[in-house]
Amino acid sequence: MKEFFLVAAREIKVRGRTKSFVISLVASALLVAALAFLPSFFDDGDSSFTVGVVGQELAAGPDVTYKKFDTSAAAEEALRAGEVDAMLLDGQTLVGDGSVDTDLEYLMRQAYQQAQLTSAGVTLDPLNVSTIAGKEAPDGARVALANLLVILLFMLIMFTAMYVAIGIVEEKSSRIVEILLASVKPWQLLGGKIVGLVVLGFVNLLVIAAAGLGASAAAGEIGSLPSGIGGIVANTFLWFLLGSAFFAALAAAFGSLVSRQEDLNGVLSPMTMTLIITYLLSFFVATKPESTVAQVFSMLPPFSAMAMPVRFAATDVPLWQILVSIVVMVVATIGVMMLGARIYQRAVLRTGARLKLAQLFK
Amino acid sequence: MLEAKDLHKAFGEKVALSGVSLKVAPGEIMGFVGANGAGKTTTMRIIMGLLTPDLGTSSWNGAPLNLQQRRRLGYMPEERGLYPKMKVAEQITYFARLRGLSASDAAAAVSRLVGQLSLEGKENTAVEALSLGNQQRVQLAVALVADPVALVLDEPFSGLDPIAVDSLVEVLQARAAEGVAVLFSSHQLELVERICDSVSIISAGQMVTSGPVTQLRAQAERKLKVVVRGAENGWAQGFDGDFTTDADVQTLITVTADDQAVLRSALQAGRVEQFGWLQPSLAEIFREVVA
Repeated sequence: MKEFFLVAAREIKVRGRTKSFVISLVASALLVAALAFLPSFFDDGDSSFTVGVVGQELAAGPDVTYKKFDTSAAAEEALRAGEVDAMLLDGQTLVGDGSVDTDLEYLMRQAYQQAQLTSAGVTLDPLNVSTIAGKEAPDGARVALANLLVILLFMLIMFTAMYVAIGIVEEKSSRIVEILLASVKPWQLLGGKIVGLVVLGFVNLLVIAAAGLGASAAAGEIGSLPSGIGGIVANTFLWFLLGSAFFAALAAAFGSLVSRQEDLNGVLSPMTMTLIITYLLSFFVATKPESTVAQVFSMLPPFSAMAMPVRFAATDVPLWQILVSIVVMVVATIGVMMLGARIYQRAVLRTGARLKLAQLFK
Repeated sequence: MLEAKDLHKAFGEKVALSGVSLKVAPGEIMGFVGANGAGKTTTMRIIMGLLTPDLGTSSWNGAPLNLQQRRRLGYMPEERGLYPKMKVAEQITYFARLRGLSASDAAAAVSRLVGQLSLEGKENTAVEALSLGNQQRVQLAVALVADPVALVLDEPFSGLDPIAVDSLVEVLQARAAEGVAVLFSSHQLELVERICDSVSIISAGQMVTSGPVTQLRAQAERKLKVVVRGAENGWAQGFDGDFTTDADVQTLITVTADDQAVLRSALQAGRVEQFGWLQPSLAEIFREVVA
């Protein structure tokens, strides 16, 4: 077991020091932090309007303040100067500078129609709105968060798997693996490498989560984060571990078939294709988290690796589905790990041309 | 005593080894020679536990080698490599720890080897930034770091300049003097002849001959060389062998049991300038047994 940890520690130390890792860590943290600031950046926080009025006013509610002008020319001047957001002429015509803010237009239209109804002697009873227990409409903030998770999980799982494959080919092509395997067992080498790199990915995810939540707090937006954000974050960490372990084991198995970095992309394509399909499916899940497709794929490995955390972020998932999904994915990950270790063990000392899986098991 | 006994190994249809045995005693340097594809690397990989033989065993002092004991063997694979981006001291430390040394023992071993192999000042340099000669030293340090009882080196001299060869020879001889068993493969037969106590020759997966260099020489076919000046052509017609003439100097190299008969004929024919048995070189022995 000691050797296993030595291998993992080396991966963390060496890979964690590389420029590419540090850059991706900092860049992803900055990006997520920037996203957290985004809402407050676009939202000017001011939903009240000042309207220059000539003649009659309309009862448009508390958000609209009127400023009286004697002539429309004076009002127009004020509009051009930006002192008012729009001007209202005789309670009938709304004029904006270039355009009229849609919220303001909505308020004024309502007020205008109400005024006409009142003058016609019509009174309207308000529509009663209530709900029974049932499906809620997807929460916009949660769907946005789910979309962000799709991208983050995809990137981090892809990086982790690629680093595993690159590391294996590096050791294979330079024959270091022969020296290593004279001292450690193949599973210790493979397992240590995967664990080390998954830990690095996990650290990256931690930094991103800290940056995102920290920036939200700093921007005063923490209240607008979906309720249950803690559960969403924890669930994401769990699924990152499962997903990256699964795909890293696949990458290891395929990666051990080649001896040169140039051959890596070709041999990894089944793994990358699976991951990309998972990625695209997860976007669909983020938008339609309640659909049958989303329900099925969030329980079917390896798609569940991303589909489940994304669906969990987008909507409330029944507990039994979460549990089924976790159990099935854990079993699948263990299976892929065992198969990957066998392929790796048979392939890693055979340098030269790309190996075929059939060659290894005859 | 490092010992491989009756190793058999086939890769699919292709038989790589059929009954290879060898023994290297503590303090002995054994050269392992054979043509490309003869089975040297396969034999060494089996000894190092990288391949499982179909049949046969490898052992140290009579006990079959397991992973724990193999950590006391120093190994250099044929195409050598290290982690290019890892620093020298860090790299040697890593392999020391993998062989079971504690952190403090590993640090002590690293500083000792850095001194022995003249790598001072390079401890914090990435391996890829070193010259090839220095990379080779780091490779050797990795093989030596756990105080091995035996060294298994696959083509350790290939690609080295004469000075690097000499310094590697020095290190191997020093280790052997301390009682380490050294087994190395090489195509440089003159070198093997110069530094090895014994030689094993492998051909097509079978051990052709194995033993001390002097013993192999004694077993080999001996050739007699006679140089005669001013003799008439044809004096040597009665003997089989290579006969060459250069101006009035004639040279006969022959395999014969009756050296005295050759001498008598030569004396009658002209002035004998040279007469003696040739020492067969290892290269000649190799060609003879492999042919």
